[in-house]
Amino acid sequence: MATNALGLFDAPSTALAAAGELKGAGFDTPSVISPIPLHGIEEVLGKKKDVIRRFSFFGGIFGALFGFTLAAGTAVLYLHPTGGRPIIPIPPFLIITYEMTILLGILATVIGFLVSARFPAFRERLYVPEAAVDKFAVAVSCKDAEGYRRAEEIMRGAGAEEIRELEGAD
Amino acid sequence: MQGEREISYADVNRDVVRSLVETGSKYYITLGISATVTLLCFFFPWFYQLHYGIGAAGMNQPTVWGTYLASFIFWIGLSHSGTLLSCVLHLTNSEWRKAMYRSAEAMTLFSLLVAATMVMVHVGRPWFVHWAVPYPNQMEMWPNFRSPLMFDVMAITTYLTGSSIFIYMGSIPDFAAVRDRTTGWRHHMYVLLSLGWRGTDTEWHRLGWAYTFLAVLIIPLAVSVHSIVSWDFALSVVPALHQTIFAPYFVVGAIYSGTAGIVTVMYFLRKYMNFEHYITKLHFDNLGKLLLVLSLIWTYINAVELFTGWYSETSFEIEALRYKLFGFYAPLYWEMILFCAVAPLLLISKRFRTSFVPMLILSIAINIGMYTERFLIVATSLSRQYLPDSWRVYVPSFVEISILVGSLAMFITLFLIFVKIFPSVSIYEVKETLPEPEPKPQTKAGVPEWQPTR
Amino acid sequence: MSFIDNFLARWQEYREPGYYKEFDYAWTMTIDLDRCTGCEACVTACQAENNIPIVGERGLAQGREMQWMRIERYWEGEYPDIKLGFIPMLCQHCDAAPCETVCPVSATYHNQDGLNAQVYNRCIGTRSCAVYCPYEVRYFNYNNHHWDAPLDEQLNPDVSVREKGVMEKCTFCIQRIRQAKDTAKDEERRVGDGDVQPACVQTCPAEALVFGDRNDPQSQVSQSMNDPRAYHVLEEVNTAPSVVYLKKVETDAG
Repeated sequence: MATNALGLFDAPSTALAAAGELKGAGFDTPSVISPIPLHGIEEVLGKKKDVIRRFSFFGGIFGALFGFTLAAGTAVLYLHPTGGRPIIPIPPFLIITYEMTILLGILATVIGFLVSARFPAFRERLYVPEAAVDKFAVAVSCKDAEGYRRAEEIMRGAGAEEIRELEGAD
Repeated sequence: MQGEREISYADVNRDVVRSLVETGSKYYITLGISATVTLLCFFFPWFYQLHYGIGAAGMNQPTVWGTYLASFIFWIGLSHSGTLLSCVLHLTNSEWRKAMYRSAEAMTLFSLLVAATMVMVHVGRPWFVHWAVPYPNQMEMWPNFRSPLMFDVMAITTYLTGSSIFIYMGSIPDFAAVRDRTTGWRHHMYVLLSLGWRGTDTEWHRLGWAYTFLAVLIIPLAVSVHSIVSWDFALSVVPALHQTIFAPYFVVGAIYSGTAGIVTVMYFLRKYMNFEHYITKLHFDNLGKLLLVLSLIWTYINAVELFTGWYSETSFEIEALRYKLFGFYAPLYWEMILFCAVAPLLLISKRFRTSFVPMLILSIAINIGMYTERFLIVATSLSRQYLPDSWRVYVPSFVEISILVGSLAMFITLFLIFVKIFPSVSIYEVKETLPEPEPKPQTKAGVPEWQPTR
Repeated sequence: MSFIDNFLARWQEYREPGYYKEFDYAWTMTIDLDRCTGCEACVTACQAENNIPIVGERGLAQGREMQWMRIERYWEGEYPDIKLGFIPMLCQHCDAAPCETVCPVSATYHNQDGLNAQVYNRCIGTRSCAVYCPYEVRYFNYNNHHWDAPLDEQLNPDVSVREKGVMEKCTFCIQRIRQAKDTAKDEERRVGDGDVQPACVQTCPAEALVFGDRNDPQSQVSQSMNDPRAYHVLEEVNTAPSVVYLKKVETDAG
């Protein structure tokens, strides 16, 4: 019966050590729940892919195209010359393009963040409220009771204050 | 580093939640007063103006722009505070910004909102102001994107969107932290706002990357926004306005007045929200140094403007400068120089920088001086253009002054509502400045001390 | 291939400064400052023709004059040796108008006759065009106006009455131009020299104002423009105005 073992630690160093040990012992990559972003976590759990970058890049490109098309396209739809300037002058339209690049880049980054971090969370996920205050939690999924016992043993050995058994998905 | 007492992680959570949940009568009285002042001083005179026409203000031929536009530029300028503190100092990994930047970003957002209402007050037919927004319509008419005012519309929309997103993204972990300790309607609101944030390593990694990239995008945006606002003036042919120095002038002025605004807000936040341990002398010291540098740059740019005008030997430029320094508005010009160029030299002294009340007074003086600068840019340039027959003096009317006071009250009201909904000090960033918790030695009987292998 | 050729041709068209290669009629006015006596008959005629509001004593004290055509007076010296000059100032209908570019809602633009057109119902009243105009010839309606009886019976039905919040200025009596063009079209001819005269030109007792099409080399205004006294006001601002002034000749008497 699949379950999750969640250990609470006092300090980031012990939590990271436990996570490393669990990974080394063959469990699925554990998640470390903490109130602050932890340094050194990439050495323990492995580097994560930067997916948001792609969103931002394409958002910016699309924004640039959109901005220039908006400005030039609407200028052409109803021709009204102003100030002895051309219908499609480049300097003003570059400014519009620039602003739209940034706007759509920002929006694409946000969408990328929401997609890659899987927000908003419509279902309950593994969580303990203490991890938002001053405790550091390591959660790992165990396939059966035997796995749970091993995980518990490793985490206690690493200095966990408390181990909980939680149902649910990560 | 954070004051005399050692703060623990739990203290931070507790203090911030307490600032949100505990409200005393002082808060309600202040909120009530500012909301009433907003209603009486901003909305009622504005409704009168909507009924009567822009004639309720003091503008005339040819000074068609007045305090409304000066206020608009002032509020947009004030909005650069948050961007500088949040984005620039984030990229430079500065420690001292961490306690203050949330409130500074809130200042940015609310300044932009107040500036947007000033646009509504300023135009002659605000019920049609939506025509400046590009949307498909039955007239098949689109706005004129060649116009500097349209650059303004696009830039400020982008900036408003970007700032709102930025402050929200940075607050997601804090919403999660306060979600767990509140009840009732607050709890439900924070559950929604935190999107289910837990604080796993994946989530921190993604948030960190997105946040940094947003900061990277918002910095050039902020520079461009105030440059574009300056080009409303600089792209005209009016002698005192048609100058290339305007873009740097406005951007520096914006960051300057914004930083002074942060000092003011930090003083009140610290005093009335019990954040004495989080916002300390160190912060005021650093803000003071920043203000000093900005003041010196601002003085330099003013000197450049005077010098190039004098050097040009053009009769129109010389007359515009002479009028600015010695004409009808001369007392305001010299007051601006006193408050923005001379008085900030007090910041050279460290004792001054680390005293709270003198810094408060200086920051308010700087903002008064900066508002005068915006007012002078509008009034002195339009009063003296090319044709001497059209020279005329402009004096703001009672309605305009009232709306200015009302806009300040609106900003204060919005900020007061903010401090009770958003955690006004960033919990996780303050925790990052505290020393990392050490593991407690094992006390369970029979279990040996475990030595970490890493 | 023809799509690309088409696109390139249109692209060239849209990159042409000012868009028009030539105007249909290039309406121009010359003002002879030697003849102008400063009588302000043109001001009154313009006010009558274009439903310009009567601002009133209080409005004028606040500086909110509404004179699409105004007479600027410049004098030097003390009585009795005063040198007085009059410059009738009206919208110059600049071909490179600073005011046209800045309107965010395109309420002002350059039409095919070389006129700077103002669209009252599109104006949202940002007043930036008035700031950008170096000649200060744009006037803003600071409040709604009314005409006391019986002046309301004198209003011109061909011209609208502007509400508060809208910018207005001299249009070269575009209602008269349009009428002349319509008549000419019915009669299948071009508008001839002298067929259309704005109210100010029609009224000037000294015949200081001449109006016509500068594309037509035979027109009176083209001859008038070739006068050696001709100049533009604020030439250095490079607005390419359509109003040509003829300098007053100063003689040192005695």
